[in-house]
Amino acid sequence: PPTGVPPPQPGTPGLHLGHYPSLPPGYQNTGYQNASAPHNATSPMHPAMQHATQPYTQAPPPYHTGWPSMLPSLAAMSLQSTTPEALRVVNLLQERNLLPPTPIPAPTPCLQQDLQKINCHPEVFRSTLTSIPQTQSLLNKAKMPLGLLLHPFKDLSQLPVVTSSTIVRCRSCRTYINPFVSFLDQRRWKCNLCFRVNDVPEEFMYNPVSRSYGEPHKRPEVQNATIEFIAPSEYMLRPPQPAVYLFILDVSHNAVETGYLTVFCQSLLDNINALPGDSRTKVGFITFDSTIHFYNLQEGLSQPQMLIVSDIEDIFLPTPDSLLVNLNECKELVQDLLKSLPTLFEKTMETQSALGSALQAAYKLLLPTGGRMSIFQTQLPNLGVGTLQSREDPNQRAAAKDVQHLSPATDFYKKLALDCSGQQVAVDLFLLSSQYCDLASLGCISRYSAGSVYYYPSYHHQHTPAQVECFQKDLKRYLTRKIGFEAVMRIRCTKGLSIHTFHGNFFVRSTDLLSLPNVNPDAGFAVQMSIEENLDDMQVVSFQAALLYTSSKGERRIRVHTLCLPVVNSLSDIFAGADVQAITGLLACMAVDRSATASLSDARDAMTNAAIDSLTSYRQSVLTIQQPGLLAPACLRLFPLFILALLKQKAFRTGTSTRLDDRLFAMCQLKYQPLVYAMLMIHPALYRVDDLSDEGALNISERTVPQPRVLQLSVEKLSREAAFLMDAGTVMYLWIGRNCHPNFLTQVLGVPSYATVPDNLYLLPELDTPESQRTRAFVGWLRDQRPFFPSLQVIRDESQLKPTFMQNMIEDRTESALSYYEFLLHLQQQISK
Amino acid sequence: MTSLTIIARVTDGLPLAASIQEDEQSGRDLQHYQSQAKQLLRKLNDQSPDRCTLEAGDMNFHYLIAQGVCYLFLCEASFPKKMAFAYLGDLHSEFHEQYGKKVPTVTRPYSFIEFDTYIQKTKKAFINSRARRNFGSINIELQDVQRIMVANIEEVLQRGESLSALDTKASNLSSLSKKYRSDAKYLNTRSTYAKVAAVSMFFITLIIYVRFWWL
Repeated sequence: PPTGVPPPQPGTPGLHLGHYPSLPPGYQNTGYQNASAPHNATSPMHPAMQHATQPYTQAPPPYHTGWPSMLPSLAAMSLQSTTPEALRVVNLLQERNLLPPTPIPAPTPCLQQDLQKINCHPEVFRSTLTSIPQTQSLLNKAKMPLGLLLHPFKDLSQLPVVTSSTIVRCRSCRTYINPFVSFLDQRRWKCNLCFRVNDVPEEFMYNPVSRSYGEPHKRPEVQNATIEFIAPSEYMLRPPQPAVYLFILDVSHNAVETGYLTVFCQSLLDNINALPGDSRTKVGFITFDSTIHFYNLQEGLSQPQMLIVSDIEDIFLPTPDSLLVNLNECKELVQDLLKSLPTLFEKTMETQSALGSALQAAYKLLLPTGGRMSIFQTQLPNLGVGTLQSREDPNQRAAAKDVQHLSPATDFYKKLALDCSGQQVAVDLFLLSSQYCDLASLGCISRYSAGSVYYYPSYHHQHTPAQVECFQKDLKRYLTRKIGFEAVMRIRCTKGLSIHTFHGNFFVRSTDLLSLPNVNPDAGFAVQMSIEENLDDMQVVSFQAALLYTSSKGERRIRVHTLCLPVVNSLSDIFAGADVQAITGLLACMAVDRSATASLSDARDAMTNAAIDSLTSYRQSVLTIQQPGLLAPACLRLFPLFILALLKQKAFRTGTSTRLDDRLFAMCQLKYQPLVYAMLMIHPALYRVDDLSDEGALNISERTVPQPRVLQLSVEKLSREAAFLMDAGTVMYLWIGRNCHPNFLTQVLGVPSYATVPDNLYLLPELDTPESQRTRAFVGWLRDQRPFFPSLQVIRDESQLKPTFMQNMIEDRTESALSYYEFLLHLQQQISK
Repeated sequence: MTSLTIIARVTDGLPLAASIQEDEQSGRDLQHYQSQAKQLLRKLNDQSPDRCTLEAGDMNFHYLIAQGVCYLFLCEASFPKKMAFAYLGDLHSEFHEQYGKKVPTVTRPYSFIEFDTYIQKTKKAFINSRARRNFGSINIELQDVQRIMVANIEEVLQRGESLSALDTKASNLSSLSKKYRSDAKYLNTRSTYAKVAAVSMFFITLIIYVRFWWL
């Protein structure tokens, strides 16, 4: 065939052939008609070309019709016999029901069984590619992002803890000994990251578990990929700090209006004995409006003393010693204060907010010890340092063009966060506001100090009971969850691989050391990697994340996770090992960065291109037999769907009215949430709940939990006669059809008819019927799986939230976005170029 | 007031409890003092004097060793020595009562970090009592404090090295002196022989003289 590029054909503007040679038109047709004919399969041309030119002559076919449907399926069958399930060819345009009925498990790395058995759990540590390419050029060819997703401080039910005076580590790269090292003999082990041969120390020869000598390979360190060490004093720069909690509360008029103080104070009163800590735990309170109020809680006082500092330009601490007090000794004073706080500011008319100065004061207070700052803010800071202006133009919320103001307006909050990070102080932000609060700027305070951000838009104690409930539950979890202080995390990988970008909330102190003043069990991290040296003659590579922290009991501990993955040298193996959820999660993180540094439309294009590039690469380099249609390996069959879901996600959508703070909060969450929860935010799960049955149900601690199948997010799946539950991670929607079966209404919701279903139903009534029990068991089970509390909202035809619910119907067309099928056609068009 | 209190086991220098108070105004870097304190705790052993004050610039380390536990207190040089040792004594009596039995068996550093609360309270009480110039009782208790050894921290930390140098010198000296001794013995015998020979020669000459000339 000729290798020159023919002139573009009329009627196909904007098509680029790139450097691929094209085919004469006559040849194309044979290729297209007889995709699986033997003479084509063995023809000297690159097989991808046959399809590459297809749209020149033929418009994309309508769905389900016009295709010689037998040929691809025959081809697929012949492939099936030789390829693993992950590589089964799927024609996305033809096969509609691709969504598996159950949540998607992480793919299993292709390792020897004994290695895989002890490998790190994918919820803690997973890679976008479970088979690592041998070279960077191979990775570039596959066009998929290489990275790791971590949930290092996840609450674990089983965690081996080792106390020993010497922790065995590689002498040159400081890797902790792990299950994937090799023992050359009894006395020497070879590091799996840098390959240095190290001596086994005498102490390590004894195995405390089996109480035997001379079996170093049976020690718990070598048997568990996730393990925790009690650190000796070499791992401490200073004595372990006590647990210190400082609460900074907005008490301006606006804040009092929302009524959050009552909920906060009550919640803290309820959980005051459950705060993680020991007899050294300290607490303190600062409130602020246009002035800063401190509370002297020193032992011996009969009641808390309020000290007001009105000089916010040059903030100072009135009595530095008695503002942070020992919780055990001053508990009564603290309780007194919490009881009186909500009424103290009831009649305030102060509307200004000097948040910046309050933060500076709090920083001074925590400077000697480090600890945790929790800020409750309800409006834009408008006085003193760190003042912000409203940057949002409400008329531009639905603009289809680029969204402005995604990056911070001032570096005040970032600078302060870095100071905090240096002194082991983390800042958590609770934003409760109906107004624009510039989360882009305020969020920096948490982002660089390894804090977390909570956002309750339009919070009001009477008008939005769902948010109040959510705030209450979140607070309970926030106050009582495990916490690690003065932490650092380092991620090491086998020589040849290198980590270049980190995602999450932290400050990168040196090239690979993440500084985490606080670490909490709900924080996720992601990193991007590149292959710097070829991984020739390596069968496997390993990754190790080590998190050094001080527990709330004053123990210094190191939690080590090690992941081992195979190295492969063929593109098809790389595709076979692709983890579509991890890829989506990492792409979301990258897109958040891109929207801040470049623009939102850039980020959107990048995500679409990621899908196009990887599927193009698959078609051109892996498929040996060409078929028409949009082809993907089975493991990536959901990739276009997830990309479309991202494009329609609050963080990245355009054309739909989205408040700037909502968008930024969604971006924060995508970067900060562990993958499992982020995936629910991206692609919610839809279940039909009016006909729950015990068939296939799980049995968990003597409760039967029904397992309905996950449905596609399309209105076509909804029916007026049924009820559906949509689980979107932080919120659940219960959609009730107009003609819903009265049985469901009476037995589950406890109402006689559709018209009487209340608008505000946030808790399912506890009825003594099997239907109610099943539904509650299912909802409860979904809630138990995550650390935060998703609120339940009922959606009827006339509900205000109906549009929000409908926006999650990702596969459907909206005014401003493509339907799933249209998106697939768009991808196919781009791929065929 | 900037201060640092560390309680550690003497046998291996394992820190058991600690309390740090940093003063924003003074702007001192306690990090340096902490590492000095760690080194010092590793140096101490059963043979060390049980009460000692070490000078480190404008700060002083005071330490007290009792029942295998060392109580170390870093404070400004202006802080009275008597007070410092009274404070350490107080810590000892309370610490020993609370944790004394567990000390030999623990392996984790800062196992008794919760003692920090007591340390802070006691320290506050002592600093306040200084303000009130309430010395009376302490004066009587601490007559012997006057005799507490004073040394320089740098010297103590380097003492190990100079001692080992001294040790080699001494052993050199002793081997040299042994050699000298044997040499001297040899010389001694030689000179004795010479003397004996000289005397006997004299007598023989005398006998011969008497025998032949007189007779």
